[in-house]
Amino acid sequence: MTWLIITFVKNPEIKNLPLYTLSTVSRITITLLISVAWGVSFGIFAATNKWASLILTPFIDLLQSIPILGYFPMVIGFLFSIGPLGIELSVIVLLFTSMAWAIFFGVLGAIRGIPTNVAESARSFGLTGWRYIRHVVLPAIAPAVISGANLAWCDGWFFMIAAEYIQYKGAVVTPPSGGLGTLLAEAAYEYQDMSLAVILLIFITFIVVYFNTLTWHRLMERASTGTFKPVFKMDLSGVGKLGVARATRWLHFGRLHWPKSFSIASQRLRRYSHIEKIIAAILAISAIFLVLYIVFGQFPTSAIISEGFSKPPAEELGSLPLMIALTMGRLTIAYGISLAVAITMGVLAAEHKRFATVFYPLYDIGQGVPILALFPVIFLGLKQLLGIEGVALELTCIVMLVLDMIWYMFLNIVSAVKNIPTEVKEVGQIFGFKGLKRVTHLVIPSILPSIVTGSILSWGTGWNTIIFAEYLPSTQQGGQPISVLGLGSFLDKAGYEWGNTVLLVFLLSIVALIVLSMEGFVWRRLLRKFEKYHVEV
Amino acid sequence: MSVVEVENVTKTFVMEKSKILVLDNVSFSVGNDEFVCLVGPSGCGKSTMLRIIAGLEKADSGKILFQGQPITKPTPKIAMVFQLFGLLPWKTALENVEVPLEVLGMEKEKRKHIAEEYLNMVGLVGFENTYPHDLSGGMKQRVGIARALALKPDVLLMDEPFSSLDELTAKTLRGLVLDIWRNPTLPTNTFIMVSHNVEEAVFMADRVIVMSPRPGKVIGEVKIDIQRPREEHLRDSAYFSLVDEVVELLEKGKAKTKDESPLSLTANRANNV
Repeated sequence: MTWLIITFVKNPEIKNLPLYTLSTVSRITITLLISVAWGVSFGIFAATNKWASLILTPFIDLLQSIPILGYFPMVIGFLFSIGPLGIELSVIVLLFTSMAWAIFFGVLGAIRGIPTNVAESARSFGLTGWRYIRHVVLPAIAPAVISGANLAWCDGWFFMIAAEYIQYKGAVVTPPSGGLGTLLAEAAYEYQDMSLAVILLIFITFIVVYFNTLTWHRLMERASTGTFKPVFKMDLSGVGKLGVARATRWLHFGRLHWPKSFSIASQRLRRYSHIEKIIAAILAISAIFLVLYIVFGQFPTSAIISEGFSKPPAEELGSLPLMIALTMGRLTIAYGISLAVAITMGVLAAEHKRFATVFYPLYDIGQGVPILALFPVIFLGLKQLLGIEGVALELTCIVMLVLDMIWYMFLNIVSAVKNIPTEVKEVGQIFGFKGLKRVTHLVIPSILPSIVTGSILSWGTGWNTIIFAEYLPSTQQGGQPISVLGLGSFLDKAGYEWGNTVLLVFLLSIVALIVLSMEGFVWRRLLRKFEKYHVEV
Repeated sequence: MSVVEVENVTKTFVMEKSKILVLDNVSFSVGNDEFVCLVGPSGCGKSTMLRIIAGLEKADSGKILFQGQPITKPTPKIAMVFQLFGLLPWKTALENVEVPLEVLGMEKEKRKHIAEEYLNMVGLVGFENTYPHDLSGGMKQRVGIARALALKPDVLLMDEPFSSLDELTAKTLRGLVLDIWRNPTLPTNTFIMVSHNVEEAVFMADRVIVMSPRPGKVIGEVKIDIQRPREEHLRDSAYFSLVDEVVELLEKGKAKTKDESPLSLTANRANNV
């Protein structure tokens, strides 16, 4: 209690907490409403119009894979000039770039998933145009919109701290009406006050989990009440009797259903025809040109490009291979840890109710905490514990990556274990597989495809997080940021510190290259190999 | 006089860059008050034929006439019953029957009244507000039939309406469909049904049109002149000989395509080279 009071007395800004909470919640809500309106209308448009689908889908796929950092130059160039309102708007635009995509792809997938016999009978009875949308499309996409909106909501909280505390060319810009992200970033970065940071973090986690369990789960349950889930086979077989755990089932569905079908670049590419691939390539190139055009007000000339490569921090380009190696090393270590822990937790949770009652709520909270906000807290804690800044940041980076990567693995593994066909399980029983033998001969082989899918998702989110995890912004106004050598921190330097767009685009395309080649050479091969293990039910 | 006329219909599907001929020069006609059954092995294009008549698919060439007018898109004059029911899962039984009426611009009270009447006719009293999820397969198909009949169409198309039901349920529903067909107070009296069950076809139809395996062609038709109601003639030798006749035609069609297949293979090879 006294600890609380001391913390609050030291930080008079805490009196703004209700106002800041209100402004952050309303900011995310406004962005959510915009995202839903955009996602539903564009999703329906893209799913029902062949040409729209050919052009829009690859383009939006491209947009969703650009990390939030990639949007900074555009937003700052345009909106900051307008003044305070421009800053508020730019925060919303930044949030939108990390929230909107899930809804769009959810709608697209749901419409494509309408059974042929339903669509055909509707057509034969004259449901066309607006009537078709009202009677068939809207009810069919409702569950996807709700769980997509929930994902967007979580993403909004995840990126809030990045969007409300924008660093650009050494200066910090925060929205005039404040926000929880701003407050937390200031507590952690500027005052280095761990007590305040922890309190704020618990507060934010509470808000996220509160909304998740109370609003979203209820909405999701209502959206799926009995009427049409069997047709779309959306239910995952029983998770448990615990309230939270049972409710998370719907979240599970949401998380499982679409990242699986469209966030995975490998499936993404496989899905596209040649024409779509060519269009995607053309769009990708023109999008890069567009970004450069907006920033410089003209098409990039070789002079601008070479200027970008000669301005700081270009002089560090020489150590790029080392940076890539270090970043890959961190990601690999974090992936290894996540894999081991997730398999243990996932198998235990899926097979034993007792573990499930512990792990499901843990999952609920774990994936509800905005991990970016954890960064300064973990770092400050480790720094006090170890005393050495470099080691502390290195450890923090890996801890953050694990906390981010583990949930996709866990989720995929739990649902895979749950979905092992009864026949396979019975074979195991009849031939007397027990304990570890059962796990190695039966459980692990059956869930290998899902482990690969979970791995792809984990690496994807890992690449997104590494941009934040290798680089702790300056703790005082104008002070030096702390960072470890790596591709992520290099990106941050190019983007935040120097505003060197040419270099930023170049580095982002290197990241894209690494991600794509890993998918091509590692994941897709594994996926093809393990596909055979899938038992048709 | 014929209500539906199919003349030289040909249909090709493009699948993974190769063209598959599904219907090859199919012609037949269906008269007023007639119950016609299209029979053939799976994949012979009989369902495609039915969907072309329904206006859901377009033929590559040939004519499909309904009362002398070409069919180009779905019309309320021709209604369809689906194998997998095709009910909207987010609407109750009553609402499912109401939707096509709403499309016709009928007022709420009136369409509700009609939907209730037809649900009553197919024996679904008390299930008006049940969602398809909670109905059995047979009940779902009853809703499907009520929905089609509520439009008061001239022609009822049925695409293997009983093949996803168990035999006992199917038997009951066959009886229901025949009762509807014979009911003089209902305007719908021309039925076209697709089936791969020969006994079912001979039991129900006035005329059975037999199709060959892909590419589907009409290889013959059998007039079924057993007196109705036919339940009591199911042990007659006439019934069995008609069934045999249809089966023989099917076998002949199968043998014919077998004879042709080596030829067509070499032809394909020649084309590829």
